[in-house]
Amino acid sequence: MGQEEDLEVYRSQLLESITEHPNRSARDLVDPIQVYVNERRVGELKGAETEATLSVHGVDHIETVQLRTEDGRLLGGLVAPESGFRTNRVQLFADTVELCVQNTMQGGSLSAVFIPTPGFWSRIRTILADFAERRMVRRPEAAVAYGMRTVAFTQALLAVAVVGLVADRVMVWTTPEQAVAPTVQAEALRTASIAEIEQLAKQLGELRMMQTKVGEALQSQEKGMTLLHQTMARLSSTQESVASSVVMVKEEMEKRQEGPEHEADRPAQLPPGRGVVDQEQFEVAIHGLAADNDRLSKQIAGLEEHNRTLTAKLQLALAHVAKAVEQNSERVVAREADTARKHQLLPVADSRQNMQAQPFLFWVTFSEGTTQETIDQWVNGMKGHKGVINEGWQEVQILPPPVPPDLFLEQIKGDKIIKEARLNH
Amino acid sequence: MQNTLRKSHIMADRTATVSRLEEVVATSDEFDRVVAQALPVLLDRAAGYTKRFLRETGQWNDDIEHEKFALRWGSEYLERFLVCGRTEVPCRPLFLFDSLVAKQHSKPEPFCYHPDLLKPLGRFLDGLVARAVVSRDALIALYHHSYGWGAGDVIVVTGLNGLESQRIYKNFRRWRESGWQRTMDEMGLTKTELAGLEDQRQRHRQRFNSEAERLIRVAQGHYRKSEPDHYPCLSRSQWGEMFSQGYGCDYRIWHLALCLDCMQTAWGLGSNGSSAGEKPRLELQVRP
Repeated sequence: MGQEEDLEVYRSQLLESITEHPNRSARDLVDPIQVYVNERRVGELKGAETEATLSVHGVDHIETVQLRTEDGRLLGGLVAPESGFRTNRVQLFADTVELCVQNTMQGGSLSAVFIPTPGFWSRIRTILADFAERRMVRRPEAAVAYGMRTVAFTQALLAVAVVGLVADRVMVWTTPEQAVAPTVQAEALRTASIAEIEQLAKQLGELRMMQTKVGEALQSQEKGMTLLHQTMARLSSTQESVASSVVMVKEEMEKRQEGPEHEADRPAQLPPGRGVVDQEQFEVAIHGLAADNDRLSKQIAGLEEHNRTLTAKLQLALAHVAKAVEQNSERVVAREADTARKHQLLPVADSRQNMQAQPFLFWVTFSEGTTQETIDQWVNGMKGHKGVINEGWQEVQILPPPVPPDLFLEQIKGDKIIKEARLNH
Repeated sequence: MQNTLRKSHIMADRTATVSRLEEVVATSDEFDRVVAQALPVLLDRAAGYTKRFLRETGQWNDDIEHEKFALRWGSEYLERFLVCGRTEVPCRPLFLFDSLVAKQHSKPEPFCYHPDLLKPLGRFLDGLVARAVVSRDALIALYHHSYGWGAGDVIVVTGLNGLESQRIYKNFRRWRESGWQRTMDEMGLTKTELAGLEDQRQRHRQRFNSEAERLIRVAQGHYRKSEPDHYPCLSRSQWGEMFSQGYGCDYRIWHLALCLDCMQTAWGLGSNGSSAGEKPRLELQVRP
């Protein structure tokens, strides 16, 4: 055999071994499953008929997870994501291994759970129990007897089947062939039950797959509906915008068709609109002013009325005083005339009285060589009083002068002894 | 003429297959279906990448041994791709496969390469030890192939309890039934080559074993990195503590099978030294 042929045979062998079905055979059903992380063995799932779990935590990121049989065949696995979760259900014959990998900054973790398929008899028990329960629930009172009869019949049937099986086995053991090949018969029985189990498991597996597919289809339909709704919403909004655009374009075209004269008119048309607004604003302002004016007029009228009342009262009071005190008619007349004059000058007199009530303060400095006696004489001549002396300035209090303060200060500056005069220090 | 036509048909088929592999597959079932039709193409592709890696690292020779080596690793990558790739859907299978191979080749020492490990004896030992890393059957069988022990001896040497003992018998049986042959097939060892090895063992026992010891150390040094949590070599007192306390069952089984020196160190601890004779030496067994 040439080298090329040898190589071709080797290649064919490799391809053949790859295409072998990787599922566990019934023979190694009870053997532990070897778990590898990043191609290193990290433990095993010792699950024959019971659920088993393997958890692995490490500082290294998990890249790959592999499940292998004891003879090294690769059963399943997954490629872990750089970061985050990934799960995978690996179907092994009738059993399942659920893998969940998580990679974080701190490292990776793996959780592998072996979920065995329930045994044949336990499944039969479960089915019967479910059946009986359902019958009891569905037929509460009237049909209880019938339900009980059905259950009893099923139980009897089962008992007969079990007795038959036992009898069959006893016959097999007692036959002469048993001495020749007892293991063959036992193996045949075992194989038969395993075949049944396999068939049932296969059916269950198919059912599960169908359920999964239906679920996936429903989910995808839901997603599709959601997408459809979103698309419809987008479409309607687009339609609206398109319709408005069309209307705008139509208007624009109409305006353009109306001609350039309208273009010229357009600026002239715009101010009236603005003028209307301004006019309204003006009207509002005028209304406000008119209201204020009315209010002020009413107040003035009220004040004038009040003034008249007061004047009348004053005149009456003066008349009473005059009658009571004055004996001289001329004085009375003169006083009345004086009173009348005073009445006319009342506001000014009142203000002067107010001013006279407060003393007038000012500050002066005296010329050099002025004696204290001369100063005192000047103050007395002003009918005033000396106040405090601060930094050479003398405070002087006098009765309010008849002339304005500035003029008064200029007047006193004309005195020889006064060097400077001012209102504030 | 017919040959040319056949070749052109094959080329056209391959092109169509590659094109299909470049398209997106959406489900795991679709992935299985598409990839199953393209296994030869993918195997050749992976072997081609491995060849290129060996050429670029100066480890390539144009001979059948190197061709087999490239094919063997190509099939390893393909097997992993078949199992793990279906969890990566939706994907383009061809690109995923290329990335998987590239990832493997970007690791330090992606495979155990030594020119002497490409010869029949080297391939035999490489195959045994490589298989022991992924198969407990092969691991337990390594005790037999290295020292000629049976299941009972392995149980005593490794100090296992009753429950573990049952598994050892099972491992032996399965290895004899199918494991050994599968491993030989995967290593491309022909019946003639195996017969030649057996012949050497019988004729030149000492030379054969010393050569085997030299090569098995190379292989063990490489593959022991795949042990659980890098189980390190221990001193006799540490091994003694482990044996006497009864813990580290996995440690004992895995490490002692893959380390000649530790086997010498821990010799006799499993049987409390009662039946320990001369320290074991490598006595390579070709047949299971």
